[in-house]
Amino acid sequence: MNITVSLHGVFRIDRFKLKILEYPEGCCVQKVIDDLQIPATLLGTTLINKVHAKSSDILHDGDTLMILPLLEGG
Amino acid sequence: MKIETTDPVNHPELISYRRCTINLKTGKQQWKDVPCRNLEDVLGGFGRSFQMLAEREIKAAYCPENPLIINTGLLTGSSAMTGLRTYFSSYSPIKGSKAGLPAAMWSAGSGKFGAKFKWAGLDELILENCADTPQYIVIRETGSGPHIELKPAEHLLGLSTHDKIMTLHKEYPDAHFAAIGQAGENWQNVYMGSVALSTVNQLKSGDDKLRFAGRGGMGSIMGYKNIVALVAQSTDKHTPITPEVKAVHTQVIKGGGAARLQPIKRGGGGGTWAAYDVMQPFHAVPVNNYRPQGNDLPEKLFRENVEKEYDIESAACHRCGITCHNYIYDRKDDGSRGDFIAKFDYEPLNLLGTNIGIHDAGQAGRLIHLCDNYGVDAISMGVTISYTLSYNERHPEKPLFNGAVFGDYDKIRELIIQAGEGKLLDIGQGSMRLSEQTGETGYAYHIKGLEIAAYLPETNPGYCWAIAGGHMSMGSYGTLIREGLSDVDSWVKVITEDKLHIVGFDLIGLCKFFDITQGIGTDKITTILKSDFNLDIDPLKIKEAVRRSFLLGMALEFRQGYTKSDFSFPAEVANEPNPNIELPNISNPNFMNELAEKVWAVFDKELADMI
Ligand code: SF4
Repeated sequence: MNITVSLHGVFRIDRFKLKILEYPEGCCVQKVIDDLQIPATLLGTTLINKVHAKSSDILHDGDTLMILPLLEGG
Repeated sequence: MKIETTDPVNHPELISYRRCTINLKTGKQQWKDVPCRNLEDVLGGFGRSFQMLAEREIKAAYCPENPLIINTGLLTGSSAMTGLRTYFSSYSPIKGSKAGLPAAMWSAGSGKFGAKFKWAGLDELILENCADTPQYIVIRETGSGPHIELKPAEHLLGLSTHDKIMTLHKEYPDAHFAAIGQAGENWQNVYMGSVALSTVNQLKSGDDKLRFAGRGGMGSIMGYKNIVALVAQSTDKHTPITPEVKAVHTQVIKGGGAARLQPIKRGGGGGTWAAYDVMQPFHAVPVNNYRPQGNDLPEKLFRENVEKEYDIESAACHRCGITCHNYIYDRKDDGSRGDFIAKFDYEPLNLLGTNIGIHDAGQAGRLIHLCDNYGVDAISMGVTISYTLSYNERHPEKPLFNGAVFGDYDKIRELIIQAGEGKLLDIGQGSMRLSEQTGETGYAYHIKGLEIAAYLPETNPGYCWAIAGGHMSMGSYGTLIREGLSDVDSWVKVITEDKLHIVGFDLIGLCKFFDITQGIGTDKITTILKSDFNLDIDPLKIKEAVRRSFLLGMALEFRQGYTKSDFSFPAEVANEPNPNIELPNISNPNFMNELAEKVWAVFDKELADMI
């Protein structure tokens, strides 16, 4: 299946802004995070099709997954 | 502090702190070792100062009976990373109720002044009354304990915060400083004066790399008292860092919220500025007086875009590994680093940048620089300016002041200069009073008289229950974006349990970035207290003390004339929902009414016992 992955903030450094990636059916958000080697300490929010998602949520063909750094402090 | 117990919960009276009260009118000093009454007294900061403020009935901020309390927290000057905080507490000239009474307020700042103050042997300085002529106060360590002297300050008048500090630095090379700018000197016309605190970076480089106790007009109170600066002179007294404390520091740097504040080259997120990147995908970055337009304008101040033209440097306070802020410099034609422009923290950057229609980093930086040098709170100034610009957009035929509109850098700069120099009371008094004058209060973005931080109210119902500024005293500002929480019961828990604990850092002497998610009722803190002071405290007891302090702050709000209806958003939020914000709508009247009912059901019971 095809997943559109949208990265934000520092996650774009040495990666990409937006890319369509191919994954097997049944894979979850965490798998994408692991593959992209997103550091757990910086990981803030993930959204599937603009809805907040958990790392265990299953992705479906055509989904857009947004991965954002932690928002904390100001 | 004198500590003669290992049990501060059951025997706070065996811990005493050194206080000096100065009657500025007579110059008389009263020194006392004060036994602590409770754990709040032991922890310090506003936990102690608010108990004192509660004992006074103050009807106007500018009155001789209103004290300015300057104190530190138990961990200020300790081995704990970020242990640099100084607290300024008083009844505020800017935060006030509709009944016309001033609210109790504190403001906190880093830099190295707090540690020097503590190392000089002083825990608390209370300024009573007003001096007849401008003075500065020298707190000096001597062989027989701390010594305090008032000195004439005429030569400092009219100087910026930075110039005052650099002038004093020549005379006191081993000291650190707290100073007001022209804004605080002109307290009659500026209610939002801040107190600048010197940093090692500033004194070394000569650049104005200050930190601030910005909120609530504490610099204006200092100016009213005719005190323009404080000097804390002592040797450095670093407590050796034990292996236990070192392990805590490693956790602080690698975990919690601090990891994302680390510089990018250390694998972090690049300081508080990075909030832009996280909020923009939801169109939740404040634009033009908190009204995002659903476009990509905020991206102009993304770090990746600013770096194309300007030089950025990550920065930290003395011995802090968190490195939360950034400095921005001009870049010379040959690509090398040019002049220092300003510090780039998220709040001032947004409120003096995107939220007033300024999208050029250099221009935003220069406005921040102005506010820092005049010694005005960048948050209150930015929001009062954005209100003005919004008014002018609505009334092009009869605008306020010089007719400045969003993005008009020159005219905005002119307004900040006039207000900073005390020549424009209408802006210097803040957005609540200005909007009451114009009769258009619905889009003045303050709550309870204090301008909100650079997070949209639509993303943070918790603002309403913050007791001393929207993001420093209620840590709920990132909750909707981060977690997507959109049910009332979760928000009740956020406000009444989890996120009020952020104020704990304003007791104990640490920055909130030490452990923003968990607060101070943790094993990390108890480990340091054991290591530095041989104190045994159950983290739960610390949490209870923090909660009592928070509730006392809220009880004082009611005593000063606030009603529950004041705990609410500007009317525009409900009346004109912004369709551009791509997040669940949790600011609609139904949600907010139900939330208020449930939050008060929790707080009311506890408040009943307070005052
Ligand atoms: S967290 Fe930031 S403000 Fe606090 S001490 Fe560290 S560098 Fe300074």
